[in-house]
Amino acid sequence: MKEKIDRLTENLDFSLLFATVFLCFYGLLVLYSSTRLATTGGSDPYFFVKRQSLWMLLGFLFLTIIISIDYHNLERYSKVIYFGAIVLLIMVIISGRSTYGARRWLAIGPFDFQPSEFAKIALIAFLADFLAKNKPKLDNFFYYLIPFAYTGLLILLVFMQPDLGTSLVYLAILIIMLFATGVKIKYLVFTFLAALSSIPVLWIFLKDYQKNRLILFLNPNLDPLGGGYNVIQSRIAIGSGGFLGNGIFSGLQSQLNFLPAQHTDFIFSVIGEELGFVGTILLLGLYAIILWRGIKIALEARDLLGTLLATGAVSLLFFHIVVNIGMAMGMLPATGLPLPFLSYGGSFMISNLMVIGILLNVELHKVKW
Amino acid sequence: MRESSTVPEDVKQRLNWLLIFMVICLSILVISLWYLQMIKGEEFRERAIENCIRCLVEDAPRGRIYDRQEKLLVTNRPAVVVSVIPAEVDDLEKLSERLSKIIGISPEKISQTVKNYRENPFKPVKILDDCNTNKIIKIEERKDELKGVVLEVKPRRDYLYHDFAAHSLGYVGEIDKEELQQFGNPKFQGGDIIGKAGLEKYYDDILRGEKGGKEVEVDALGQEIATLLYQKPVPGEDLVLTIDRDLQLYGENLLFGKKGSIIVSDPNSGEILALVNRPSFSPNIFANGISSSDWQRLSSDADYPLTNRSVQGVYSPGSIFKVVTAIAALEEGITDRKRKIYCSGSFELAGQIFICWKETGHGSLSIVDGIAHSCNIYFYTLGKDLGIERFNKYLQKFGLGEKTGIDLPAEAIGTIPSAQWKKKEVKEIWFPGDTINLSIGQGYLLLTPLQVHNLITNIATEGEVYKLHLVKKIISADGNTVEEIKPEIYKKVDFSLDTFKIIKEGLRQTILKGTGWRANIKELAVAGKTGTAQNPQGETHAWFIGFAPYEDPEICITVFLENGGEGGETAAPIARAMLEKYYDIQK
Repeated sequence: MKEKIDRLTENLDFSLLFATVFLCFYGLLVLYSSTRLATTGGSDPYFFVKRQSLWMLLGFLFLTIIISIDYHNLERYSKVIYFGAIVLLIMVIISGRSTYGARRWLAIGPFDFQPSEFAKIALIAFLADFLAKNKPKLDNFFYYLIPFAYTGLLILLVFMQPDLGTSLVYLAILIIMLFATGVKIKYLVFTFLAALSSIPVLWIFLKDYQKNRLILFLNPNLDPLGGGYNVIQSRIAIGSGGFLGNGIFSGLQSQLNFLPAQHTDFIFSVIGEELGFVGTILLLGLYAIILWRGIKIALEARDLLGTLLATGAVSLLFFHIVVNIGMAMGMLPATGLPLPFLSYGGSFMISNLMVIGILLNVELHKVKW
Repeated sequence: MRESSTVPEDVKQRLNWLLIFMVICLSILVISLWYLQMIKGEEFRERAIENCIRCLVEDAPRGRIYDRQEKLLVTNRPAVVVSVIPAEVDDLEKLSERLSKIIGISPEKISQTVKNYRENPFKPVKILDDCNTNKIIKIEERKDELKGVVLEVKPRRDYLYHDFAAHSLGYVGEIDKEELQQFGNPKFQGGDIIGKAGLEKYYDDILRGEKGGKEVEVDALGQEIATLLYQKPVPGEDLVLTIDRDLQLYGENLLFGKKGSIIVSDPNSGEILALVNRPSFSPNIFANGISSSDWQRLSSDADYPLTNRSVQGVYSPGSIFKVVTAIAALEEGITDRKRKIYCSGSFELAGQIFICWKETGHGSLSIVDGIAHSCNIYFYTLGKDLGIERFNKYLQKFGLGEKTGIDLPAEAIGTIPSAQWKKKEVKEIWFPGDTINLSIGQGYLLLTPLQVHNLITNIATEGEVYKLHLVKKIISADGNTVEEIKPEIYKKVDFSLDTFKIIKEGLRQTILKGTGWRANIKELAVAGKTGTAQNPQGETHAWFIGFAPYEDPEICITVFLENGGEGGETAAPIARAMLEKYYDIQK
């Protein structure tokens, strides 16, 4: 036991862990600022903060569990994990709780959870194992298509909820992991071109609100009250923060509720407004540490499975960060992807910490115990 | 212990590429943030402040209008406006449906009105103006189902006697695009109520007051969080008119169903006691924003109910104009008290025959009789001797062809023919026959009833005409006099006292034994002149001008009936009734 703890302290990536914990507290502070005046929790200004803290504790519990199981067990259980995710997603479609016309939630006792969040972890685990085992065969184009089929099934199920943003996350994870595995670049280019040419076909399957979002991304002023409103208000909030920001708890846009979804999808705007350029750069710096340590872990992993697990973890975080911040600044369409460790939401918080768990796990097992 | 990694080199290569890609992406984010926050920061800061600071305008109550005895004529009443705040509506279709059942406007129209208004989602969109009490109660009862519907109380102009003195009072309405461009910001904003006609327009600056308002901080729902600045509205000042409510009402009843005007004024001050115009309209229909069907009806009515006939209408004066011819001739020495002219019933000039209204002729007449019997031949002769040049000089002295300067907008000036005028407008030279026509107030001459009224005032006061006006004083909302309107000389003419004496005598004889006998009142010495004007529009216009008492005039009256027939038959009795009413009041 003592030896195990020694190894843990010797091999654990403390800067990664530190950045993660720092982000969690940063997130709680901003969350408090943006929700203390909200009426959802009655008169308790800490309502959201308390709940988010609970998710964090749960998340760290999951993180610890993940660390303590050698990732090589995946070689046996990856398929089970994958099909588990499929079953959960089907259950959501059949009996999920619906809000705003979308079914995304499954109820466990008093809590709702979002299987699509955990399916991300399952996808990373499954793809890492599959790609690590089959790397040489991927030179064959038809074999190269198989992971698309697996991922495609998940995407389809999530798309039916409908949740365009999350299904794009799955696709991003797949592409980045394939790239890292070393598949032929021409295959990837071909896939990209094929995807591009199928957009008109996919357009038919998009719900009206999804189409609107894409149209509004191109011209947010088209409907300043509807979808475009969010982006305009978000840009105003971020921009008005200036260098030092208005000070925590004093953002005009956020405190007066001009910012929609400011504790979830648009929490970055609150940071921008209240803590200014300093605050947003600090945030990006913390993310940069995590991403850099993640790539470093991938590079130093003991084997390809570890490398791919770490790459998948990094790609998930990276995609969320870039898309969310890009959306808040109006550079990318509003897809509703939350910001890791910052946005309010239980399932998302837990899955983020599980991703960190994966990275630490690969890090810890880069040597044989 | 540590075994060498089994990760293939090509994978490591790819990971390095991935790292570079991520660095690029994050760099783009950093640069964008720099641009948004550091370069554009100030601009966005202003927009953020603009977002949450709202100016809420508080309208000033418009000044009230009273008659000369300070009886209330025009005031403001609270009107309830049903509006929808777009930003607060969850389901517009459902709301429209529910609201429609209460207020009776189709759900499609409600939702369309709300959708069409895009300027500011927090600004109430007006659905129904001046909602009645029953509907208000129903809306209040169902408040919970009608989220987004608000009831706003706005001051509404209230003309207590509807079509009473409508042309003088005028009406108010929302400022239109042209007016907005003309007067513009910051004095006015779109949606402001301003005077559009009559006194409401002429005294708009006094009546309107000053808008107040507050600057408030609002949240995204438009709810007020804090008041940053408050400016109390300054209520408009009240007008006390020279109009006597009862006399005006009496006159309006006399002209009911007719077309025409009555002007009653005090010759010693220029104060107008009654300014009757028929047909009339109710300014109240403008106060709520006139409907297009009402507007259509009023503006296309062949009887022109919107026209203020006494100020904007121009008509042939006919025989009442003979007083001008008489004065000019007396002043020029063409005639005097003694000169007699023989009327055979017709008059020849350059081969053209002009006839008297009395075909058998009046025989030999003095000027006093000429006026009393309104003999055309007498005045043809004077006109011929005067000639147009000298004639014009006197028209000018009377101020004909000029505005009377009454405190109403859009006053007409009429047409004063002269040799130059005819050359320019008709492209013909002036014929002697034109002067003959002018001498009995026919032909090209067109005057407003107000100008005609100044003629009789001129005679009554023997040359001192005060400016006609409708406002006696201006008082502040708390009742203090702000300004007393003092009588102001409009025209002073230096005709000889003898001239006036002869004319007055002629006018008195007109009532006693001449064409104006129907205006005779036993207890009151009335002087006056009738007129029956030919005109291209059909039936003759009937005129009567007069003053009383003969010795020391206190009141002047003009009665004009458009296509009203014979002045002596139709206008004179109305003048008599007005005078009787006036002196009843005085007792």
